[in-house]
Amino acid sequence: MSFPRRSNLVVPAAAWITYLFLLVPSLIVIPISFGGSGEMTFPPQVWTLDLYRQFFADAAWWGSLIQSLRIAVFVTLVTTVLGVPAAYALQRTNLPGGKVLGGLAMGPLLVPVVVLALGLYLQLGPIGLADKTWTVVLAHSMLALPFVMVSVGAALRHLDPSYEQVALIMGAGKTRIFFKVVLPQLRSGIAAGALFAFLISLDEVIVAYFITGTATQTLPVKMYSALRWEVSPVIAAVSTILTVVSLAFAIGLMWLERKDRHD
Amino acid sequence: MSETKPYLDRWAGLALLLPMAALLAIFFVYPLARTVWQSFYEYGFTLRAYETLLSSTLFWKVLKTTFAISFTATIVALLAGYPVALHLSRLPPQRRMPYLVMVMLPFWTSILVKSFALIVLLGYDGIVNNALSFVFGSPIHIPMVFNRVGAILGMVNYLLPFMILSILSSLLTQDVNLGRAAEVMGASRFTIFRRITLPLSMPGVLAGVLISFTLSIGMYITPALLGGRQDMMMANLIDFYTRQTLDWPLASAIAVVLLLVSGVLVAMLGQVRGAGGMKEMAR
Repeated sequence: MSFPRRSNLVVPAAAWITYLFLLVPSLIVIPISFGGSGEMTFPPQVWTLDLYRQFFADAAWWGSLIQSLRIAVFVTLVTTVLGVPAAYALQRTNLPGGKVLGGLAMGPLLVPVVVLALGLYLQLGPIGLADKTWTVVLAHSMLALPFVMVSVGAALRHLDPSYEQVALIMGAGKTRIFFKVVLPQLRSGIAAGALFAFLISLDEVIVAYFITGTATQTLPVKMYSALRWEVSPVIAAVSTILTVVSLAFAIGLMWLERKDRHD
Repeated sequence: MSETKPYLDRWAGLALLLPMAALLAIFFVYPLARTVWQSFYEYGFTLRAYETLLSSTLFWKVLKTTFAISFTATIVALLAGYPVALHLSRLPPQRRMPYLVMVMLPFWTSILVKSFALIVLLGYDGIVNNALSFVFGSPIHIPMVFNRVGAILGMVNYLLPFMILSILSSLLTQDVNLGRAAEVMGASRFTIFRRITLPLSMPGVLAGVLISFTLSIGMYITPALLGGRQDMMMANLIDFYTRQTLDWPLASAIAVVLLLVSGVLVAMLGQVRGAGGMKEMAR
């Protein structure tokens, strides 16, 4: 019977075509970014750092990178500070509207981002709050919140409530219990949520494109505008920087998930 | 202390939830409500925006394009993704990790990076065309980008992780003994796939298709960068009316239509998957 042997190869072969299609567009920017600023080829004819020099020589480019990193840091802080206590409260109370609120926090995932971008534009533009860094931070926090709630919520479900009961019986206050007993056990869930929030904000284009102006432009917005007009080779350097940061965070997340499973 | 009494009282719970609720109210609920309101309001209540939409040939054309591109991208993602899910499900769990990393890689890379890479790869003088020219010894310029093919390829690349993980989760819940029993009774591998594996994976396929289609109809960046002028989708039309013609009610009305369509799709997904399916989109 020869058929089983052949079908043994059909699936991996078909799978590998897709693996390549998944892999190549995400990674090919790295070698291209070390080519010259002439024609973009693979493999590059010369290996140079010219494109990175161009990137850092242009204040508009690296300025928007700094702006993006700054926004992402604030988004991480805001979503953690708002999300962790909220996720905890949703697990440990039975408020009448709790379920609805928990569902609402997932809402930003289910609504097309362009609809939210338009809504924020209509809301913030007329009252002069567009083109402000802090409104971008809060808008991105809204988009990243579901990811934080899911990560922290998953960690909370594994948290045994009897630790809190024991601490309570021993006379600790609930605030102290939250900081000394609950938070340390949620460490990797909170860290995963924070990494998610940072990445979501760093890569976000559409909302930022609608509500930022020249003063607050983020790197993805600058990149999007550049890509619409001409495909300049310096974008390869920008892409590599973004990809390396994303990959570092993704590896961090996977490491956290693995660690969780072994704990 | 009774079992049902919650650990935190009402006021503590309220205090912990309030900041998050405020963020959601101001930056999620209000903008949505504002969009709906704006679609009915110009110096007073009006249905002008919706009347304009219904009679606008551009809107109907874009609506058709949106559905056509989303449908094709979803089907291609299904056909390209199913073998990967099957391959992953047949690997022993400890060997699955590196392959899962490859699947998740596009999920972690910026959509702009992928769009840029696809332009460089598939362009007129792109890497693929150059390689083909080299192999065949004559100049080859297959148009693969700035047209519908480009838009669809870009979307498929974006959709694949969602599709693959959705099918994989369905494949992994199957009882391996079913396949073994069929094998013992003399079924060929193909028969086992056709009669057992495939039918049992249908919930995952259905969920993957719904997730992909929902994500597709709201796509903005990919059609704008990789598609041609003819491939404008609803999200791009919203942007066009917002920034180019400053017709906010019209832009809002299109947004409301998009919201309703994706609402129906999300509700269907909820039926297929239960509440868990929605949370899965976050992973």
